[in-house]
This record gives sequence, structure tokens and C-alpha cells, in this order.
Amino acid sequence: MSSERPKLGPDIPKVITAWLSASGRVVYLTADRNWSEELSDAEVLTGAGAVDILAWAAKDQTRVSDPYFMQVTLDGKVAGRETIRETIRARGPTNHPMFGKQAGNN
Amino acid sequence: MYRYDEFDDTLVRERAKQFRGQVERRLKGELKEEHFKPLRLQNGVYLQLHAYMLRVAIPYGQLSAKKMRQLALIADKFDKGYAHFTTRQNVQYNWIRLADMPDVLDVLADVEMHAIQTSGNCIRNVTSDHLAGANLDEIEDPRPWCEIIRQWSTFHPEFSSLPRKFKIAVTAGETDRAAVRVHDIGLHMKKNAEGRIGFEFIVGGGLGRTPFVGPTVREWVAKEDLLSYLEANMRIYNRHGRRDNKYKARIKILVSELGLEEYRRQVEEEFAAQNTWEKVVLPQDEVDRITAYFAAPKFAALPAISAAFDAFKAGSREYARWAKNNLRPHRTPGYVSVHVALKQQGEAPGDASSDQMRALADIGETYALDDIRVAHEQDIVYPHVKLDDVPAVYAALKAAGLHASNAGLASDIIACPGLDYCNLSNARSISVANEIQAVFADPEFEDDVGTLHVNVSGCINACGHHHVGHIGILGVDKKGEEFYQVLFGGRADEKATIATIQGPGLRHEEVAPAIRRVIDQYLTLRRDKSEKFIDTLSRVGQAPFKDALYAAA
Ligand code: SF4
Repeated sequence: MSSERPKLGPDIPKVITAWLSASGRVVYLTADRNWSEELSDAEVLTGAGAVDILAWAAKDQTRVSDPYFMQVTLDGKVAGRETIRETIRARGPTNHPMFGKQAGNN
Repeated sequence: MYRYDEFDDTLVRERAKQFRGQVERRLKGELKEEHFKPLRLQNGVYLQLHAYMLRVAIPYGQLSAKKMRQLALIADKFDKGYAHFTTRQNVQYNWIRLADMPDVLDVLADVEMHAIQTSGNCIRNVTSDHLAGANLDEIEDPRPWCEIIRQWSTFHPEFSSLPRKFKIAVTAGETDRAAVRVHDIGLHMKKNAEGRIGFEFIVGGGLGRTPFVGPTVREWVAKEDLLSYLEANMRIYNRHGRRDNKYKARIKILVSELGLEEYRRQVEEEFAAQNTWEKVVLPQDEVDRITAYFAAPKFAALPAISAAFDAFKAGSREYARWAKNNLRPHRTPGYVSVHVALKQQGEAPGDASSDQMRALADIGETYALDDIRVAHEQDIVYPHVKLDDVPAVYAALKAAGLHASNAGLASDIIACPGLDYCNLSNARSISVANEIQAVFADPEFEDDVGTLHVNVSGCINACGHHHVGHIGILGVDKKGEEFYQVLFGGRADEKATIATIQGPGLRHEEVAPAIRRVIDQYLTLRRDKSEKFIDTLSRVGQAPFKDALYAAA
């Protein structure tokens, strides 16, 4: 069971992802401290300061639930050992291509 | 079917109202997620990979057409036009917005439904035999007892904060169709030496990380002692069940760690020590009142043979195949039980569209005495259908795309939502299930293979019951790649057995070809066509099947 997300050290590029509290939709933190449903809008974080931003995100409870670090490449593509999970989360269920972001009906 | 009285109705509506306030506070930011989470879970609301998921209780899997239509309406109005029927005889929606949840609970309450006790560390929805009241080998209808347990356990203050979730199943047939030996408590209705009907108490079964077939704690408990003896068990569990480690918190670990003798001694001591005022004595008039809701419907006096049905079967191989695989004998002449497999090739096991749900409701109302059941195989069952009506039922099912003729066969796969939906998952289940289904796409081949239960889980939580599949498949994560362990030899019936892991996991694309090799091995080794896969496996042992599993393709 993988309810725990892997620890990502400061050198690993990452974004912050969460779920919108009202709808449960998957979102990513942008540089202007908003939440976007598009991964391409997310701010790629590196370095030790990322944990402070995650701490801030964790307090943004009215808008989102359960934020966490998600590994990406430097140009913001899903990466690392949770690639399958996060790709499905970013796009939608693979067995239902007509649902979710992949179908534009999130 | 049980009908709510004013207390049930008030309770469910008050609960929905209370949750509306909690959701409002969450959305205003007055409640943080960590504080809200236990509240939403108590109302069946999970946060999954893509969205919130709502699990709705279907007590012992029984629905009416009205309820099924309401479930379809929720799918259309608040979700994406479909729902998923689960191995616990419940139904789940995958895309409902939190802001809409209170409205959904109101819509459910309008048809005497709710999501209470579908999550959290409480006694969950009581499950039962989907053929209850219809099958040949039942000594008594178990549903009144399920309902009594439901009423006793709902919001029971002593058992609303248990060490872990708690699942009770009841069966009354010789054949166990409710998997009672792999539940926290399984109740198998049996006669004692004097011929009185009571309950065999099987305690500490379960799947998940540490699977166990539950041992019998008492061979026979009288009906009047049912709730007191349940309470004695629950108290021992509540007192000694581990709360320090959630992986060791289920009652199966307690029974295993204490040992059966000591566990039994403690339960008997507790049972004996219950004061008279503490005993939950079931008033007979209340038992009678509840039992009356489950009285057998008025069956027509019919001959055992139906010319219309015989003509239907003779009409085509397609009809004959469906009739052979999807009908079950009924105790009343001229009737049959119909198994609707929600297992069309390529579809997610257990999924039904809202149109299909409405078709299921219409068929239930027109041809099946308004009695619709959810089976733990993630299928739908009509327990009471006239043989004369079978051709019309088949036509209606076919029009709705619900005519899969594979009930009980290899492509009637039980599979959890897995990594396509579940936040706890390691690997996808649905796509693996679909690829295995494709191995059996040829109906003649599938019929030749015969009875075969394949179960797929996307993680060790085992919602797809992989430990009790004849062939079980477990998704594991290996450094970010989906791998699948294969198990052989499990069964969920009265001969319940935990399957054995064969060895290293296979890659996603290797699973279906490997299963094909295993089946070819079975076809070579079986004595004759009447010997099922599971019986060949136990006669010749697992080694040749393991060889086939890992043989180079
Ligand atoms: S078995 Fe695991 S992956 Fe499947 S539904 Fe249960 S928790 Fe999710």
C-alpha cells in the first residue's frame, strides 16, 4: 500500500501537487501561489527552500487538501518512481480515456 | 426488503443534514482537512487519485428498482454517468464534488439509502449470500439476521472506534457464497444436534497483508444469543486489539497472537460474565417484525419445465451458452435465478453505466419481483425470475449490453479499481483484468476451461480478494514499475483456502500470456472436462503450473 509518498531530497526537481478541497480535482502549485489543474503551469522547485513552500501550501487548507512533493524533470514533466501514478493522476484513468483531464471534462 | 421506520428515516436524514454543515465548514476553511477527514470517512467519502469517491452502502447487497434508479440518477446528475459495484456488495462513485456530497446524501435518503459505516473503524456493511431466499441449499433466509446485525451495529457507541474496520458476513447455505471464512466474523447458519438453527461463529479470517482463513470459535450459538455473543467477541477485540500498529490491528492478528484456545476462553468468559441487564436479548416480536420484511414473495404455481425457456435455449448457441452459465437453480418450480455478469470484455469489472442501471431496474421491476442483488463477484443477480420470462430478460439485458455469458468463468474476473482510481494503489488492476479477459474471448475456449475464478488486486489491501482466487494476481511496485505476483489455489467458499504466491512478479504485458500458459497446462493435465482447474491443481500440485507460469513465452 503506498499511501506514503517517497521522500525527495533538495536536489530533485519537484512540484507541489494537491487536490482542490471543493471538487477533489488534482492541482499543481504555480509560481504566483495559485493552484492550476495543468501540470505545465506548475512551478518547478529545487533547493532547500522548497520545504518552506510545501509548509505554506499545507496551510492553504481552504483551497486544497493534502499537498505533497511530486518529482518532475527540470522542464516540469512527470518523473521518478511514481511516474505511472502521477501520469494517471495528471491525465485520468487509463481504462476510461473519456474521463478526466485527458478528455477535457475534469 | 426491509423498509425504514420513522426512526431509521430520521436518523439518516439527520446524518445528512449534519454532514451538510460539516462540508460547509470545510469549504469555508473553518475545518482543516485533518479534522474533516474522519468526518467525511464516516460518511463514505474518500479522496482518491482524481477526485472524491463516495461509497454507498447496500445492506447485504439488496436493491429495489426504485433504489437502482436513484443510483443511476446520482451517476448522471453528480458523477460521469456510471458507477462501480464492489466486492463488498456496495456501490462507489468516482467523481463527485465535495460541495455536492450533501445533496447526494439527501437524494440517497429519499430512497432509504446512505453511506453510513462504509468507512472508518466501525462495523461495516453486513454482507450475505446474493441468492438468499432463492437457493436450494439454504436452511433459512440469512437476511433478517443481517438486518438485525445492521440495526444493532449502526452507531453502536462501544464499537464506533474499534482498532480497525470490522466486516461481518452471514450465510445459510451449504455452499458458502458469502466468503464467511475470510471475514472478521463469519456467521454460518447451521443446525445443532437437536435440529435447532443457530450460528457457527468463525472469527479472525481476512485478507490484506496477512491473510487468514478464520477458525471456528464456537460451533453453534443460539439465535437468542446472537447479539450477546457478537458483543462478547467485539469487546475482547476492542480491549486487546492492537491500536499501535495498523497492520496488526485487525481481529485476525489478535486471534492469531492469543491463539484460538485463549481467544475462545476470553470470549466465553466475557459472554458468561455479561449481566442479565447487559445481554442484548432480542425480543421475539422484533425478530418477527424484521423477518416479515423478508417473507418469500408469492410465487406463481408453475410447472418445473417451461416450453418458452426450452425454445429459447434451443434457439441459438448464444442463448444456450448464456442460459448454461448465467442461470442458477431456484427452489420454486418454474423459477430460476439470473446472474448478470458486469464483465463484458474490455469493461472495468463491476462498472455499469446509468443507462444500464436503469435497464437493470426495469428488468427487476418487470420480471424479477423487484428484487435486485449485488453479488460480491461485482455482478448483479435477480434471485427470482420465471423460466417463462427468461427470453424477455435476456433480450432486455442484451439491449443494454449486459448479456455477458461468462458468470463463474475465467473472464468473470473480480478486480479492484487499482491504480487507475485508487490513491493507495501500486499497480493497475483493470487493464490486467481486461488483458486476461481477452485470453478467454473465444466462448468455446472459455467454456472448455470451465469454472475458474481470477481475482486481481492493485495492492496488498486485497480489495480484489486475490488471496482467494483460483488464480490471484497482486500488483506490486518495483522501483516505479508495475509488477504482478501470481498466486494459485485460493478459494472463498466453504473450503476456503489462501492462495500461494508462486514467485517473482511479472511485468504488466507478461501477465496475460503467462495465464494462458497456465491454462494450457491445466487442459493438458486435467483428468477430463469435468475436473475443474482448482481440482486439478489440488490433485497434481502447483509445481507444473508454476513451471508453465514462468516458462519462456
Ligand atoms: S486493493 Fe489496493 S489498489 Fe485495490 S482498491 Fe484496494 S486499496 Fe486500492
